[in-house]
Amino acid sequence: MATTETNILNRLYFVAGCMFVFALAVVFKLCSIQFIQGDAYRELAEKRSVKDFDIPANRGNVYSADGSLLATSIPKYDVRIDAIQPKDAVFEKYINALADSLHIFKSKPASYYKNKIRKARQNKNRYFPLARNISYSAYIRMRNFPLLNLGAIKGGLIIEQTTRREHPMGEIAARSIGYERVDEDGHTARAGIDGAFGAKYLQGVNGKRLKQKIGSGQWKPIADFDQVEPKDGYDVYTTIDVNIQDIAHHSLLGQLETYDAEHGCVVVMDVKTGEIKAISNLAKTSDGTYYEKRNYAVYEAHEPGSTFKVMAMMAALEDKVIDTSTIIDTKNGTKYFYGRTIGDSHRGGYGKISAAKTLEVSSNIGLATIIDDNYSKRPEKFIKHLKRWKLNDSLDIPIVGEGRPDIPEPGKSNWSKNALPSIAYGYNLTITPLQTLAFYNAIANNGELIKPRFIKSVKSFDKDIEVFEKVVMVDKICSDKTLSEIQDILKNIVVRGTGKKMYSETFSMAGKTGTARTDYANIEAWKKDRKYISSFAGYFPADNPKYSCIVVIHKPSTKVGYYGADVTGPVFKRIAQKIYTDTPIIDEVQTLDFNSSLVNEDFESYYQNAQNYKELMPSVIGMPAMDAMALLENLQVNVKVKLNGSGTIKKQSIDKHQKLQPNQTIVLDAS
Amino acid sequence: MILVISFLAIVMIASSHSADKKVHEIARLTNQVKELRSAFVDKRGKLMGLKKESFVEAEMKEKGISISLNPPTKIIVKSQQQ
Repeated sequence: MATTETNILNRLYFVAGCMFVFALAVVFKLCSIQFIQGDAYRELAEKRSVKDFDIPANRGNVYSADGSLLATSIPKYDVRIDAIQPKDAVFEKYINALADSLHIFKSKPASYYKNKIRKARQNKNRYFPLARNISYSAYIRMRNFPLLNLGAIKGGLIIEQTTRREHPMGEIAARSIGYERVDEDGHTARAGIDGAFGAKYLQGVNGKRLKQKIGSGQWKPIADFDQVEPKDGYDVYTTIDVNIQDIAHHSLLGQLETYDAEHGCVVVMDVKTGEIKAISNLAKTSDGTYYEKRNYAVYEAHEPGSTFKVMAMMAALEDKVIDTSTIIDTKNGTKYFYGRTIGDSHRGGYGKISAAKTLEVSSNIGLATIIDDNYSKRPEKFIKHLKRWKLNDSLDIPIVGEGRPDIPEPGKSNWSKNALPSIAYGYNLTITPLQTLAFYNAIANNGELIKPRFIKSVKSFDKDIEVFEKVVMVDKICSDKTLSEIQDILKNIVVRGTGKKMYSETFSMAGKTGTARTDYANIEAWKKDRKYISSFAGYFPADNPKYSCIVVIHKPSTKVGYYGADVTGPVFKRIAQKIYTDTPIIDEVQTLDFNSSLVNEDFESYYQNAQNYKELMPSVIGMPAMDAMALLENLQVNVKVKLNGSGTIKKQSIDKHQKLQPNQTIVLDAS
Repeated sequence: MILVISFLAIVMIASSHSADKKVHEIARLTNQVKELRSAFVDKRGKLMGLKKESFVEAEMKEKGISISLNPPTKIIVKSQQQ
């Protein structure tokens, strides 16, 4: 075929045609992407670069009554190192210094850290942990360590920040302040106040905001408002008084350690308002130290022992089946009740004593006799009092896990003939320490039974969201006559009864000791290893009470002691004393302008001495030491004065009218 | 016309950049707030520990100072109260 124009043209048409078809195909594809699949792709693009962010709400704080922080959320830091990021030269230069710093910081030997970090580098570990969950100040310190201070690129420093719940007061009242924690299975543990009020007040509501990706890991909000505004949690103000709490915690800790006890608790309550001023619960760990393990005061219902005798006595007094002077025969220390022996701790017994005295000396037989003689035919009447005083019901406080009391009554499976005399001295029934405290508080508060209260108010900044008022459970638990009788007995217990070791001349207390056997189901085993619960419940000052308090210590070492007055009494006394010494005694004088001839004469003679003796030794015998020192030190000659003893001067080493030399030492004897 | 449009385009780009910058700045400041808050709580916790009566009591024991058994007396002069 010859190469003609037509031939060339034909070929050209063919190529042009192909290109046209190709162009059509491209246009078609473009349209199909833009219009047919367009929506799907647009959505995909948005997903990659636009995200809905949760704005976490700040959890509220828990404060004490005076505004000290008890629980708050603060950032904590994990420090790691990318072990292969630093260059060889840099790594070798600083590794020793870094290991030394870590040694000082965490106390393991420097070689340990050096080996660990070297190993991490060999294993190409880019995420080797150096410290976990450290505070801000520790983090700042670590950031300045050699190698780490070179930063992320040169030094391989990796910082991770998490928000954790902290108790700035440390161990103190940790269990009652509490926490809210979600475990791996998604179960939430809610302990104490933080737990109880977490969902309702502290937690707040998370917000939401749409953001667009803008590089370097940052996201930019698309609109200038949040889709859902976060609502920060409210702050909870508790009734805890930090100072009383501190004293309560440490005196309880001291007694637990002295008596090597298993666990114990102490609660202090404001008589008039029912506010809990201090609550401390400590238990022994396997290595012998104590920590806030459980909220024993709230959860642990146990046989109260002798502190319950007060309730029994009050029931009998209220029914007028006895009065305080009724003579009770407590025999010679043992008495049979329905085939079972009840004994008194005092060897030989107390014989015939008044009803008031049975409580003062805490006679088991005395109380069992009073109750059994008068109520064995109609036990319901006795139980009715306990029910009216709400002792058979839990207090229904907000803290999770409150113990349920158990008081037997006729017709129930736990009732027997022996139950009645046993209840009279605090056995065969269980109640919680907080319940016992609430009852004693009612005695102190002239019969008004108030619910113990942990929370004062819930606030958002300075605005009150909710204020909690006192809750009266029973207006009057008994007649004024019974009340004043029982108040007198409680006062006398500390003056001359089982609590007389605690007696103090300077301040007054009233209360009841308790020493109850525990774990005695197997009596033979119990006799070999005797276990007790020591307690003391009461209030102070005895007249016009301000605070009520209960101390319970479980299983003190019987080698050291186990009576309520010895084990728990000192804790109670220490708190009472603290509150006594914190309240100033107020003295009022009418005027400061008055002339006393005695004072004037005294001043005149001192002034004369100061004028007359400038270089000669005056007679200071008979002067108060304070005046003598002032006189001698203000002479024109510089002398040194040495004082032995205190009071009035009895002897001076240099006779009067002697000329004094500079830097001479004068010795004064005072007594 | 073209000048106006290109000027507007430059303004738009600049403002979007400055917005981005602000986001970074906010992130940095938020972090700083967190750190300072953390430092505050840390120090406050320490202060509260030092302020505790039990701590002061233990520290003073070495110096032979212990807690008074009697409360302080407050004298109020009536004639000076207005």
